[in-house]
Amino acid sequence: MESTFGLEIYAANRQFFAGRAKSLIIPAEDGQKEFLAHHANMICAIVPGEMRFEDSEGNWLTVAVSSGFVEMINNRAKLFCLTVERPEEIDIRRAEEARDRAEEQLRQKQSIVEYHRSQAALARAMIRLRVSKNI
Amino acid sequence: MANAREIKSRISSVQDTMKITNAMYMISSSKMKKAKKILSDTEPYFYNMQGAIARILRHVPDIQHPFFSVRHLIPQEERKIATIVVTGDKGMAGAYNHNITRMTEEFIASTPGYHKLYVLGMVGRQYFGKKDVDMDGSFHYTVQKPTMHRARLISEEVVRSFLEREVDEVHIIYTQMQNAVVMEPVNMQLLPLKKTNFSPLEVPVGVHQEEIEMFPSTDGVLDIMIPNYLTGVIYGCLVEAYASENNARMTAMQSSTDSAKKMLQDLSIQYNRARQAAITQEITEVCSGAKAQKRKGR
Repeated sequence: MESTFGLEIYAANRQFFAGRAKSLIIPAEDGQKEFLAHHANMICAIVPGEMRFEDSEGNWLTVAVSSGFVEMINNRAKLFCLTVERPEEIDIRRAEEARDRAEEQLRQKQSIVEYHRSQAALARAMIRLRVSKNI
Repeated sequence: MANAREIKSRISSVQDTMKITNAMYMISSSKMKKAKKILSDTEPYFYNMQGAIARILRHVPDIQHPFFSVRHLIPQEERKIATIVVTGDKGMAGAYNHNITRMTEEFIASTPGYHKLYVLGMVGRQYFGKKDVDMDGSFHYTVQKPTMHRARLISEEVVRSFLEREVDEVHIIYTQMQNAVVMEPVNMQLLPLKKTNFSPLEVPVGVHQEEIEMFPSTDGVLDIMIPNYLTGVIYGCLVEAYASENNARMTAMQSSTDSAKKMLQDLSIQYNRARQAAITQEITEVCSGAKAQKRKGR
């Protein structure tokens, strides 16, 4: 039997996943990071992006996540993100509208705060659109 | 005694009011059920997140992070204290709004320092707009249908002003629902975070502590974790306040429906008496008229 680890994924409005997993690939600040079973104890920040994990039956699932973090302690991983969405749950039209709106706002003169906000909104929209192509 | 027609119009007006209060009761009870469901959905995220922060603090006890800094150097009288006040968008909810505004005023009066209010909800905004307090005018959020997005905007705003030293403390005053009957206003400190809130127990000496690597760094992890945590807390508060508001309205509307029913009962007794009196009087008049005619005929 292949070695697995316990994985719990929490989104702010629900528990997204609980079970055994073989692999977890998260978007980190400097690229992607993969967690396999018996990974060293670690807490890692997650940036908005595309996350993938393989459950104990070997099915890969790709989801869009927003910022959060994952803690891997004693072969148990707990992942916390404000939003976790499956590709089929993403509202493509809404994401497209959000992208266009953010792009439009970025073209205008803005304060630093507004600039960061629109940039973050743009990033979220782009990730959603990318993940939704995987259906 | 009022005449029968007056009583009748009174009865119909009470009946109309009762229809409204009854409808409002039904609406708030369904809204409260929804809010309770949202609340129970967010709970696992919230409690586990708290546990994770506690774990970090346990392993890195001497943490120096801006979110935990109490800013001892600033004397109490010069501290700038921001308070998020969660009220309802409309009244008709018993003492719900009153309790919140009273608690806020007591807090302002009892704590020295410079106070700034972020008021959520129309009722509170109108109330504090007339008072001599510093209220952030750009804070226009409704409290209906709390969403993650709104919680994020609010927490972004308070985190930014805290880090830029516009404010030294952030509190939130909202209504907590202890059970279906008891609701209490609560004042909770959001920033700076108190370490004791997360790990009340001292770790005994000699217990083995596993080593945890932080990526990219402890500060980097906390930088992401704590705004997220605050967003979660604010979201939880908004949802809880929303549930309490609807619960308060439900109770208020139920008691007014009950008293309307009682009034209707009293009024119907009065109406029947008035009607009876009118009939009796008419009979007396007819009888005496007939008698007089008889006497004349003889």
